Amino acid sequence: MEIEVRELTKTFGPVTAVRNLSFTAPAGQVTGLIGPNGSGKTTTLRVALGLVRPSAGTVLIGGARYAELRRPRRTAGAMLEATGFHPGQRARDHLRVLAAAAGVPDRRVGEVLAEVGLADAAGRRIRGFSLGMRQRLGLAGALLGDPPVLLLDEAANGLDPAGIAWLRGLLRGLAAQGRTVVIASHVLGEVAQTAGHVVIVSGGRLRFAGPLSELAADGGSLESAFLRLTGAPA
Amino acid sequence: MVRSEFRKLTTARSPWLLLAAGPLIVVAGVTGLVQSGGNVHDPAVQRQALAHLGLAAVITLLFGIVAVAGEYRHGTITDTYLSCPDRRRMIAAKLAVYGLAGAAAGLVTAGIAVGVTAAWWAAKGGSFRLSGSDTWLTLAGGLAACFAFAVIGVGLGALIRNLAGAVAIALAWIALIEGIVGQITGSGLARWLPFYASEALDRSDIGGGPHLLPQWAGGLVLLGYAAAFAAAAVLTTLRRDVT
Repeated sequence: MEIEVRELTKTFGPVTAVRNLSFTAPAGQVTGLIGPNGSGKTTTLRVALGLVRPSAGTVLIGGARYAELRRPRRTAGAMLEATGFHPGQRARDHLRVLAAAAGVPDRRVGEVLAEVGLADAAGRRIRGFSLGMRQRLGLAGALLGDPPVLLLDEAANGLDPAGIAWLRGLLRGLAAQGRTVVIASHVLGEVAQTAGHVVIVSGGRLRFAGPLSELAADGGSLESAFLRLTGAPA
Repeated sequence: MVRSEFRKLTTARSPWLLLAAGPLIVVAGVTGLVQSGGNVHDPAVQRQALAHLGLAAVITLLFGIVAVAGEYRHGTITDTYLSCPDRRRMIAAKLAVYGLAGAAAGLVTAGIAVGVTAAWWAAKGGSFRLSGSDTWLTLAGGLAACFAFAVIGVGLGALIRNLAGAVAIALAWIALIEGIVGQITGSGLARWLPFYASEALDRSDIGGGPHLLPQWAGGLVLLGYAAAFAAAAVLTTLRRDVT
């Protein structure tokens, strides 16, 4: 089930966040969506998830828009930076709320909590969670529906080195199962180690889309290619 | 979605703390009425005591505001939209769950209103009459007001989205605007405003002021407001970008 961004344009008032963007994130791969601040990565993800209406164009997940999916959370799981939590709620209950809305059995809650390493903290209220724990809880929410598609925005934020390594293994494993994983990130080093496919955007426009190997083919690093393509002063 | 909204309410503490204020207001109101010389032998005064149930509707109004505005405040609105991209269904679920919860809170508060009134009446040597249509109409009116204001609250929270702002506007409206409009325009127009309509519904004379609508008319007007706010909530969330 691939993600297709088709001639996507989005303006917020006078600001054009995304400009005629087109690319495909293939199944069975981790696709790194990278670009400078304000390049339109997050906006693209938000349009993909039905949170923002495009000015033109569309984003299709397995050929359908998110709003048309019969069981959205079981098709595409997402973790965005803006995802918040009710501080007084227990971690387990936060996920039980999502499970009820998604029609997912409650037993999945225990399963994903164990998968992200929060089984011990399940009964604690979220206000006591560290940033890393909140990130893991967000990931648990994304994985709850066991979806074939995963969209993550700055997922490694706040994770310690062990956590980052764990996440990398998790994402590569999910992709190896044939799922479609898209990670939007600033952290080029991590993207270079995790993704097989790369999409570079800058100023709302596409700068590159293709296998990572193609970018770094001439022995250059992802970073140098990135800086060159996004027009950053050397 | 209804199950999900129900779980949101049952797994958090703050909504219940808010709703608990309803019975407290009623107890305070009835106590104040008796202590300031209310005549416990006068059936009209018994009705006035029970009509304090209508004040609990302000609490259910705030409770309804939390439904959507609270989710914006905590950032959980993103997850809610992801769970249910069909936003009409999502708002409908909130309207149903919060409306019913408001009604349930109203029911509990009604019970407490009866209890505390009966207790004061016994203490002061009056005879508290639970039978009689006057009593039941007053209680039913108060209960309907609790339900209607919960629905209005959900709509208000969906329109304004800022929790503090919506609460401020709601309280300012009740405390100031309706009072001022009542002063300026006299009884003719003011009695169609939501809170005046609810006073007609609860058959209370608390506001004094303009001559109120008959109870059934107050009820219809208030339910009309509830329907209007509910529709507005559904329509405005439909196309909104969530950033």
